[in-house]
Amino acid sequence: MPSDLTPFDRAPSTAAGERLVVTLFAGMAEIVGARHVEIEWQGGTVADLRRDMVANRPAIGPLLARSAVAVAGRYAADDRPIAAGAEVAIIPPVSGG
Amino acid sequence: MPAPRVADQPGSEPGATPSLPTEAGPCLLVRAPIDGAAVLARVSAADAGGNVLFLGSTRGVTDGVTTLSLDYEAHEPLALAMLEELRSAAMARFALCGCAIVHRLGRVGVGEASIAIAASAPHRREAFAAAEWLLERVKAEVPIWKCEQGEDGGRTWVHPGDMRSGAERGG
Repeated sequence: MPSDLTPFDRAPSTAAGERLVVTLFAGMAEIVGARHVEIEWQGGTVADLRRDMVANRPAIGPLLARSAVAVAGRYAADDRPIAAGAEVAIIPPVSGG
Repeated sequence: MPAPRVADQPGSEPGATPSLPTEAGPCLLVRAPIDGAAVLARVSAADAGGNVLFLGSTRGVTDGVTTLSLDYEAHEPLALAMLEELRSAAMARFALCGCAIVHRLGRVGVGEASIAIAASAPHRREAFAAAEWLLERVKAEVPIWKCEQGEDGGRTWVHPGDMRSGAERGG
């Protein structure tokens, strides 16, 4: 991860393996009440991550369903595997401009 | 992934204008007011006959609802990478001479610009088309979000497709 990211983008450090830190933005961060969530992670795909997240946080379901997932700085399809410790972000529908 | 170039403070880099460090690339995320003329100046070229500058600004009233300001945030590394990709695509697609995209983050007051897109081309048609194409792509694809600060103190993140947000706001 580049060293000059803003504090906003700097995820908490994680122990190798087992955990995934997911960065949240905008309305998603507001619903959860946090910029990052930590998830126990035994490996799996983007689709697995979506299921894990919504199982413990039903309130995010509708927005998560309309959100993209970025893994290692790239938008990732639902079948993309995620390694523990990967940089993951939830990207709700965008509204820049 | 390229390191993000974010100008945190006005004049934070030597010899810089408030919003546009002179040594920066053509795509920027900034937290200071955008100087549209400076963005336009960056795309000037001897072979350009058409030079377009688009500024998107915070609208004070939308459908009768007053907005005090918009707060923008971004997934900065991804947003910058995507701006660079879109710029490269526009340069090729419209055979531009120059192109620059600057998006502001943080609080943007009514009437202030949140985005500047400058495009220069040998002829006006391509410059106009490129600016509009880029704006539409940025609004639809780049991970940047706006939060409306209402008159009543309410804050609403805009996520197009929300039942509550209706048509897109601002920009």
